[in-house]
Amino acid sequence: MLAQQILNGLTLGGIYALIAVGYTMVYGIIQLINFAHGEIYMLGAFLALTALTALHLPFPVALLFGVACCALLGVAVDAVAYRPLRRAPRLSALITAIGVSIFLQNLARILWGARTKSFPDEVIPALFKATFVVGDVTVTALQVFILAVVLALMLTLRWIVLRTKMGRAMRACAQDLTCAQLMGVDVNRVVSFTFALGSALGAVAGVLIGVYYNAVYPLMGYRAGIKAFAAAVLGGIGNIPGAIAGAFILGAAEALGAAYVSSLYRDGIAYAIMILFILFKPTGIFGQRRETKV
Amino acid sequence: MRPRPRWLWTGAALFALTFPALVGFDAYVCHVAVLVLLYATLALGLNIVPGFTGLLDLGYVGFYAVGAYTAGLLSLAFGVSFWLALPLAALNGALWGVLRGAPTLRLTGDYFAIVTFGFSELVVMVAKNETWLTRGPMGLPGIPPPSALGASFRGELPFYYLILTVALLLIVVSRRIAASRVGRAWFAIREDEVAAEACGIDVARYKVTAFALSAAVGASAGAFYAHWITFISPGAFQFWESVLILCMIVLGGMGSVPGAVLGAVILVSLSEVLRSLLGQFGLPEDTRFIFFGLVMVLMMRFRPEGLLPVKATVKSER
Amino acid sequence: MNCAMPFLEIRHLTKRYGGLSALSDVSLTVEQGAIAGLIGPNGAGKSTLFNCVTGIARPTAGEVVFGDPDRRSLVGLKPSAVAARGIARTFQNIRLYPNLTALDNVKVGRHPRTKAHLFGAVFKTRSERQEERDIHARALECLRTVGMEGVADLPARALSYGDQRRLEIARALATEPSLLLLDEPAAGMNPVERQELMELIRSIRGRDITVLLIEHDMKVIMGISDRVTVLDHGVRIAEGRPEEVQADPAVIAAYLGAPTDDADPR
Repeated sequence: MLAQQILNGLTLGGIYALIAVGYTMVYGIIQLINFAHGEIYMLGAFLALTALTALHLPFPVALLFGVACCALLGVAVDAVAYRPLRRAPRLSALITAIGVSIFLQNLARILWGARTKSFPDEVIPALFKATFVVGDVTVTALQVFILAVVLALMLTLRWIVLRTKMGRAMRACAQDLTCAQLMGVDVNRVVSFTFALGSALGAVAGVLIGVYYNAVYPLMGYRAGIKAFAAAVLGGIGNIPGAIAGAFILGAAEALGAAYVSSLYRDGIAYAIMILFILFKPTGIFGQRRETKV
Repeated sequence: MRPRPRWLWTGAALFALTFPALVGFDAYVCHVAVLVLLYATLALGLNIVPGFTGLLDLGYVGFYAVGAYTAGLLSLAFGVSFWLALPLAALNGALWGVLRGAPTLRLTGDYFAIVTFGFSELVVMVAKNETWLTRGPMGLPGIPPPSALGASFRGELPFYYLILTVALLLIVVSRRIAASRVGRAWFAIREDEVAAEACGIDVARYKVTAFALSAAVGASAGAFYAHWITFISPGAFQFWESVLILCMIVLGGMGSVPGAVLGAVILVSLSEVLRSLLGQFGLPEDTRFIFFGLVMVLMMRFRPEGLLPVKATVKSER
Repeated sequence: MNCAMPFLEIRHLTKRYGGLSALSDVSLTVEQGAIAGLIGPNGAGKSTLFNCVTGIARPTAGEVVFGDPDRRSLVGLKPSAVAARGIARTFQNIRLYPNLTALDNVKVGRHPRTKAHLFGAVFKTRSERQEERDIHARALECLRTVGMEGVADLPARALSYGDQRRLEIARALATEPSLLLLDEPAAGMNPVERQELMELIRSIRGRDITVLLIEHDMKVIMGISDRVTVLDHGVRIAEGRPEEVQADPAVIAAYLGAPTDDADPR
């Protein structure tokens, strides 16, 4: 039973990780809590669902469709809503982010209705439904797929951040934005790329969770978003490996907490962890915090 | 405060006093008017924290809920009259304002905002799950309306005048505080905490006081709400409400007293109009929030100081 | 000025940030009624010293004692308590309240010497109203002292740089300090403004306010200080009368040649 819950928790954690890195990368560079990030995740699921059911595209293509649209959407949101406020007080940007989040949430409700939708049986690849038993743990092929995708994407992300020119630029901007600018880094391009990357990963997460729980609804971004943000805080905001670790820890905590403590407060676990960390250890488990000079 | 002509205020007050008569005592319009004033009260309460300390409270609905449930439970379980339940609810709200605020004194703006958000979500979760206390999603029906002079409140009129009194008092008190030593201390904290501390202002104490005051107002509004609608449930206290109230002060101008009132008037009216309009298009009425989201984005982009800003711009350019 | 009593006594002050020693075993005495200068190259620890005295930073070791005749320790006090004891300061980077008027900025300075609470404000009691009138008058007077009563109603952010520096001093004066800490008050000033500043500081001393100032501008330091202390890399390397200090080889070496003096076109 315990092992089963841990497996479930890790699967959930993997998905949170895909969302959490989006939050942490954006915060690391422009110190903005992108409230709208959860909505991108949600839209990824809806767009893929629409591609599957209305456009009858095969699953991998539909997934790519969702990812591409969300990457573009992320860039657009930054360009239209956040970039003009780059020099404004941070609270203005936060309020804007909330506004965008509310806007997108309700846009989804208008376009797709408020009722929960599910992926029709025939569009899910058959191999996802296979299950096999290891000891007293039941593993579904979907879970394996999810974990594999998460691993592959995290490795890709690592490669991008550590081994590419853009990745170097991202790290420079995260360290010191002004200095990076003076060094000739095109900050706007880096920020756009970061949004695109984070949104793409978020979209994948949305599709994966949509299939995993077989439920897609407009408020799913709101629910998952805060948990993923909690994971980012847990790991140290601005710290990518930290966010990933935090997400797995949070996923496991949620699964175990729901199974052994109380399923009613399932979401509350994330809130509580987030609040406790912000209050008592805002640098997270692995993170670094900037000092301000008086 | 930018001095506005005296006649504007007296004119507005007269208008507010005679409003029900002006609309022929129409029940629906009076209901909306009560709603406007209720939200104006909430907006004025929410305004206290950003207006006086420069922090943003994203979880205001939490205090609204605490006040509503405190008053509702006191009346239902112990038969406490509204007039006693109201101050008790305000006190409870203030207590929770302090409890939530004291650990957050060192937090910067966005982390503070997130903690307030998390807190209010937990409050609503508790309201939903602790059915032994709150009856969970089934809510608390049958909360008795207030009574005065032997008769209990019926119709919208007594509620209208009650909430109008509250709102007017709040406005007067806010203006007096803003022009006083305490108000200046708060503004100093909002502008520059370090400098304020160097001027002998105990920043921690003043912040906590602001939190308590703001929470007390929210809780009082909640108590009013409970005895007006006579039924409360966790569904009435979603994050949306916090966003709506936030939107009002963003529209009117954070920290601005007339701005908060104007924001409430505009958005509640807009909300009612949209409710019926969206219904006609077959859309769920909650989707009217799409406009509020748009308002927030547009205001921050084009007029961050709000429609009726405080005498100088509320936020300093860095 | 009768027998010079140590008014502010800093003993063996040490402040470490992790592995970095911002201040090491610094001792410094300021006598009542004196104008004391604190100089040193950038990063010497001067502002850190101010922060330790005013309670913004907590010393790792050492003692700060203030007052006459009551001599009490300042270590561990919150900055607002230090201000209430009678120590006011200005900041290197100017910390005004940008959206408040100049007058309101100074009125905030009256805070530690006034006491009206919420009750008085809300119910507009007679004592509160009287105190407000008082605050208004005193604040205006402070503005007059620095020659700024003409811009009383302008928001602080609209003032010129020089005016902002003077406003900070006016606000500090409003707290009725017995010790005033000035952090680079002459920064960015032209010779005329500099001269006015020196006059102002002398007049402040004339009101029985002891002054300790950090400055890079040697003309100012030489012109008004009674005694000067020199810090370098968190350590005190010299102390004495201005002429003595200026000729001290250790001081000259610390500044890499000559301190900014008459050769400087500023």
